[in-house]
Amino acid sequence: MRIIILVALLVPPLAAAQTASDSLTKGRALFRSNCAFCHGATATGGRGPNLLGQLSHGDRDEDIQGVIRHGIPGTGMPRFRFAPDELRSLVDYIQSLRKGKPAPPPPAGDKAAGAKIYATHGCSGCHEIGNEGSVFGPSLTRVGAARSYDYLKQSVLDPSADIPDDFQGVTVVTADGHRYTGVRINEDTFTLQLRTADQQFHSFDKTRLKQLVVDKTSLMPPYRFGDDDLKNLLAYLSSLRGPVNANTDTRHATEVR
Amino acid sequence: MNLKVWCAALICGVSVSAICAADLPFDKIVNAASLPQEWLTYWGDYHATRYRDLNQIDDANVDRLRLQWIFQTGVPGAFETVPLVLDGIMYFTANNSSAYAIDARSGRELWRFQYTIPKDARPCCGTLNRGLAMIGSRLFMATPDAHLVAIDSRNGRLLWDSEIIPANGIYGASMAPLAFKDKVVVGVAGGEKGNRGLIDAYDAATGKRAWRFWTIPAKGEPGNETWGGDSWKHGGAPTWMTGTYDPELNTVYWGVGNPGPDLYGDVRPGDNLYSDSVVALDGDTGKLKWHFQFTPHDVYDWDAAETPMLLDLPWNGKPRKLLVQANRNAFFYVLDRVTGEFLMAKPFARQTWAKDIDSKGRPVKNPGVEPSAEGTRVCPQSAGAANWMAPSYSPATGLFYFNVREGCDVYYSSPPVYEEGKGFWGSIFRGETGERQWGRVTALDPLTAKTKWTYKLYQAPWAGTLATSGNLLFAGDEDGYLMAFNAKTGELLWKINTGNRLATSPITFELDGKQYIAMPSGSVLLAFALPDEVVAGKKK
Repeated sequence: MRIIILVALLVPPLAAAQTASDSLTKGRALFRSNCAFCHGATATGGRGPNLLGQLSHGDRDEDIQGVIRHGIPGTGMPRFRFAPDELRSLVDYIQSLRKGKPAPPPPAGDKAAGAKIYATHGCSGCHEIGNEGSVFGPSLTRVGAARSYDYLKQSVLDPSADIPDDFQGVTVVTADGHRYTGVRINEDTFTLQLRTADQQFHSFDKTRLKQLVVDKTSLMPPYRFGDDDLKNLLAYLSSLRGPVNANTDTRHATEVR
Repeated sequence: MNLKVWCAALICGVSVSAICAADLPFDKIVNAASLPQEWLTYWGDYHATRYRDLNQIDDANVDRLRLQWIFQTGVPGAFETVPLVLDGIMYFTANNSSAYAIDARSGRELWRFQYTIPKDARPCCGTLNRGLAMIGSRLFMATPDAHLVAIDSRNGRLLWDSEIIPANGIYGASMAPLAFKDKVVVGVAGGEKGNRGLIDAYDAATGKRAWRFWTIPAKGEPGNETWGGDSWKHGGAPTWMTGTYDPELNTVYWGVGNPGPDLYGDVRPGDNLYSDSVVALDGDTGKLKWHFQFTPHDVYDWDAAETPMLLDLPWNGKPRKLLVQANRNAFFYVLDRVTGEFLMAKPFARQTWAKDIDSKGRPVKNPGVEPSAEGTRVCPQSAGAANWMAPSYSPATGLFYFNVREGCDVYYSSPPVYEEGKGFWGSIFRGETGERQWGRVTALDPLTAKTKWTYKLYQAPWAGTLATSGNLLFAGDEDGYLMAFNAKTGELLWKINTGNRLATSPITFELDGKQYIAMPSGSVLLAFALPDEVVAGKKK
């Protein structure tokens, strides 16, 4: 009897140790195939935020689980449908990456000064913050929550490095020689719908166009700033975590590429 | 007056068009090619050529096509049916196990049947349905919970209901069954749930099972050695699309799905027969006559569910019974359908996985194409360069027509654990960010696999094709366009935006001297024909 009790006491910690290591391996595989394409292979950020720093929605296991299950409206973070054990493994793995890693310092610049740069450079001529500005380019209302610092920096200095699919630039020349450049709103085999910088929609019959070019470069020009101005602007953009429109919902992960 | 006499009296009446539910003898289906006015099987005939010798609508007048009627099913969800047409009545299914008979002249409903899935049933894979089979006065439908039911074509009454296999969260059925002689053949879905595939035949009159072919051989049976350990028990190899039938050889040809877990092959060492194969089965006994495996030890989810089309063509100058398939793995195959002998395989789309196909038909893989933890980019994509969407063959042009999907995926792999009722994938595939997939309507010579013409589509399509003797090729696309092309040249002659992605194939039939084109889109069935004055002009 005593022996049996002893065994019973010994077994659980051993089994748990093995399970923890299996769980991390499983979590790593899930992270690589589901998260890395936005957050980077080591979770230091890509299109999506760096996960090693302070997390906007909390850093407890249940906080991270909630974000994965429900997504974050107004950002690219979709909803994922993982089995409970998969979700646990994934969060364990993310926490293992975070453990002992110093949080990257907050953006060094002055965000009030950054807001002035935003205003004086006419950024609102293409971008919207809240309900102010143009709908031609991507909304920046929550860009600080949606993008990593490094991605924002790249977007300012070299916007063509990564063009979001929803903002692909297209240039067409009509049969009568008119030229239009705009954001592709919709397209199929036969028709194309563009939004030009004046925020107007245009519809084209592709079979009647003289030319249709999918622009290789972004419709946004690259900007050159001095170090301080750049830091200030990025501090401002990183701070943009505005309220979510009530109609904004997250997408399911399978709809996201 | 009994019903029969009343019905006969009605037929004799000059002013009324007869729409008495009719009888469909086996011989009539065998001779489907000489009855182009009807559409008698999922494929239109047993050989799956999807060609009709109807030319009222032709390359000169197709741009005059006009909407005749719309039938609203009112059922949301995928509408992937192919209607059957017999004696002026159209029979089809919609999502969630509903079936309909409608007047093909007017689009008015004659009856509606609803199969009720028991509350405790656990279908594996959703509720879509791809259509009916018919023989005699019976219609046959497969159900999401893996039953096969027979419906009386006269009034939509349930005649019998046979469970294929307990669904248990791992089985289901969505394909149109295949009916011949006194039998109905059906397959199952659920390969991603770690099940074991099968093809069943049932007695058309009673619903009693006549034979079963397991697509994964059991311990001790030939072929089991191609599955390491106990992997055969959960190896998938489902049978989710309708097969074809050669009445002369009394042989059923059926495409078999991929092995599971899909992306992690280390737990199932070996070729994994009969996954990704076409199997030739004796129609009376279900006994295997031969098999051919397209993708041995598949790790990309490349089911061989694509149409096993049967063609009688001269091969090297000698008439030969052929089986052709544009496979999901991006190669077009020609086999001898009497012996299963491999004759030819040529790539028809961008592919990076195979260096070559050897003289026996076995692929020689490129190095570094295995799915991995970090992800490996391979073309074609997991959905394949072709898939279940129906191809067509026109004897008038000698061309094989099909919709091609151009795309690549990053394939991830990690060891899975089998749990009943759960997905058994072994990881995931994902399109490369920023890389668009696209499509092509393609015509190729089936004897050489050389492309004769191709028409680029903005998106990779999930719709099939239809060829007619009016020198027309109809095809659908992912943006909802139903299109007509000059079958010889590929010139686009007509198109209409139907308002929803198309995920099945158009059909044609003739009624009262008028040729129709019918196409499901969204939750509606659309019927097109030429205006009366164009029909009259053509007849002169």
